[in-house]
Amino acid sequence: MMQNAADNAATLSQAAPVLRIGAVDKYFGATQVLQNCTLDVGDGEIVTLLGPSGCGKTTLLRCIAGFWDADAGRIEIDGQDMTPVPVNRRPVGVVFQSYALFPHLTVARNVGYALRMRGTPASEIEARVTEALRTVSLEGFESRYPAQLSGGQQQRVAIARVLVMQPRVLLLDEPFNALDAKLRSTMQVELRQLIKQLGITSIFVTHDQEEALTMSDRIAVMRGGRIEQAATPDEIFDRPVSSYVADFVGTSNFWDAQAEAGQVTLPDGQSVETGLSGKVRVMSRPHNLRLAPEEQGPWRGVVLFQRHIGPLIEYHVEMPDGATIKVAAIRQDRVRPVRDRAAVSIGIIDSAQVSVFAD
Amino acid sequence: MKALKRSSLTDIIGLGLIFGVAIFSLILLVAPSIIVLIISFDTRAYVSFPPEGFTLRWYGEVFQKSELVESMLNSLQVGLTVTVLCILLGVPTALACVRGRFRGTTALSVFVLVPHMVPGIVLGVAVLFAGALVGVSPSIWLQSVAITVFILAVMVRTVQSRLMRLDPALEEAAANLRATPFQSLRTVTFPLLMPAILAGSVFTFVEGIDNLSVAIFTHGFRDRPLPVELLALVQYTSTPLVAAVSGVQIVLAIVALIAVSLTIGLDNVND
Ligand SMILES: Nc1ncnc2c1ncn2[C@@H]1O[C@H](COP(=O)(O)OP(=O)(O)OP(=O)(O)O)[C@@H](O)[C@H]1O
Ligand SMILES: [Mg+2]
Repeated sequence: MMQNAADNAATLSQAAPVLRIGAVDKYFGATQVLQNCTLDVGDGEIVTLLGPSGCGKTTLLRCIAGFWDADAGRIEIDGQDMTPVPVNRRPVGVVFQSYALFPHLTVARNVGYALRMRGTPASEIEARVTEALRTVSLEGFESRYPAQLSGGQQQRVAIARVLVMQPRVLLLDEPFNALDAKLRSTMQVELRQLIKQLGITSIFVTHDQEEALTMSDRIAVMRGGRIEQAATPDEIFDRPVSSYVADFVGTSNFWDAQAEAGQVTLPDGQSVETGLSGKVRVMSRPHNLRLAPEEQGPWRGVVLFQRHIGPLIEYHVEMPDGATIKVAAIRQDRVRPVRDRAAVSIGIIDSAQVSVFAD
Repeated sequence: MKALKRSSLTDIIGLGLIFGVAIFSLILLVAPSIIVLIISFDTRAYVSFPPEGFTLRWYGEVFQKSELVESMLNSLQVGLTVTVLCILLGVPTALACVRGRFRGTTALSVFVLVPHMVPGIVLGVAVLFAGALVGVSPSIWLQSVAITVFILAVMVRTVQSRLMRLDPALEEAAANLRATPFQSLRTVTFPLLMPAILAGSVFTFVEGIDNLSVAIFTHGFRDRPLPVELLALVQYTSTPLVAAVSGVQIVLAIVALIAVSLTIGLDNVND
């Protein structure tokens, strides 16, 4: 799986990217909303823009679609600069957060809209609308109005409506927001399969890290208008470039340490190499830690409580300085039950999997 | 338990009060019209209530008096002209106020309101003088223009409030789906604004046939509109003929409302 993803990324980076975002800046008045955003998206790749509310995800998407102009930088599709190209001539399809279905048009007329605007012959429109509706499994809904559809069906109409014009790049802004949690996870898998099967280059916006991990070939983590790291989900998870990324994707434990002579000593006695020196921040994922009886190690604490998450148990261990360290174990791997308030020591399983950050 | 009883008692009193006020307002609104209608069928040759018989004589007289028929046709023409002008001017103005990307959209939307705030008589006199200044004498056209200036705000406001509640993503979606700005206007914005335009048209049309204060100063001396004719009529006539003319107007207004409710539904009027 990991191997596969790495191969995938390698082949993608060799081919010419379909979408190039080059050093894009965007200001609203005096506030800078996008800062030097740079991102290449390969043919057929799904890249997720992930970040907290207000970090500029929608803004970047709107610049790609052409609703807003970037103040600096370039956006290219297939090597062509998009700056002078108006919205209605960009080879881009947008699925809006609100879906933006035309309430006065039937499903068939919504889906055929782009073709009618282009002056496609009526017979061809009908055939392509039928095909697009089949792609999203909505045959038989042609004459319904958007108000007569469920949220999930509306979303599929919105997707069919842009697929019918065969866009080079598909942009989706939090398309699952309006759906309930259960429908959301099935639609995520279905939508990823559909996009992959059609091979459309896509950018997908979310602030939900699990959604990002499910949907994407690569994730671009955004922070205050900048792209902090763009990499495969595995790499983002295992080798985050900053404590911000580590904190945003997955559960993480942080503690302060001192780097000397290219080494950081870990609290359990092991040490790890680093290029940094002076004060550093160390991060370990909960599953890279394990509990042991107190006397077996120097990194000691008391189990506050334990949480059962499916096949995992997450222990919250209170350290003497008041910090809480999270340790995850697979239920079967547990030698014997650990009681709350038990005094334990924590060990690091693989010191190479620990990340060291300057901040 | 006791508290519950007391609260349900005040509930009943409250509901009763609201109901009473509603009925009272309803009576206040429709009673004059109904009384006028009843009087218009009276057999006696003077206005009095309650009536003593039933006749269609006064309606017959309305349509036999050529000056009344002419004034009705004049008012009809004014109503239609005002409505067309309001659509042509009001819809683009509303679009500019809401979607405009230039400075002063707020100023524009306030500016449109000003003529509506000025008393009609003042506006009428002002248009009369302004017309005289540029050599335009009172006529059915000057009257139509003056009433348009007076009532334009209603069309702008009706369309504007609908426009403000339209999801801006709809027009963006149209552009993304290859529509030119004009195509987007024709296929998305206008169809969605239609209920508001129709509702605004009812108001402007009724104002066009009904307005007296502006019309009295601006109408052409040979093209009297119905309200001016009616004013002259009541000065020397005291027969139910006047009531019959009002009856015709009431029926016209009801027909307009029914037409709207059949085409777009009254619920959509404010949408
Ligand atoms: N039209 C605008 N005028 C001024 N500032 C804006 C405008 N639109 C967005 N912003 C600001 O730009 C920043 C980025 O907004 P953006 O909508 O791109 O965030 P986002 O990452 O999509 O957030 P969310 O997850 O909440 O959708 C925010 O601080 C926002 O306040
Ligand atoms: Mg957003």
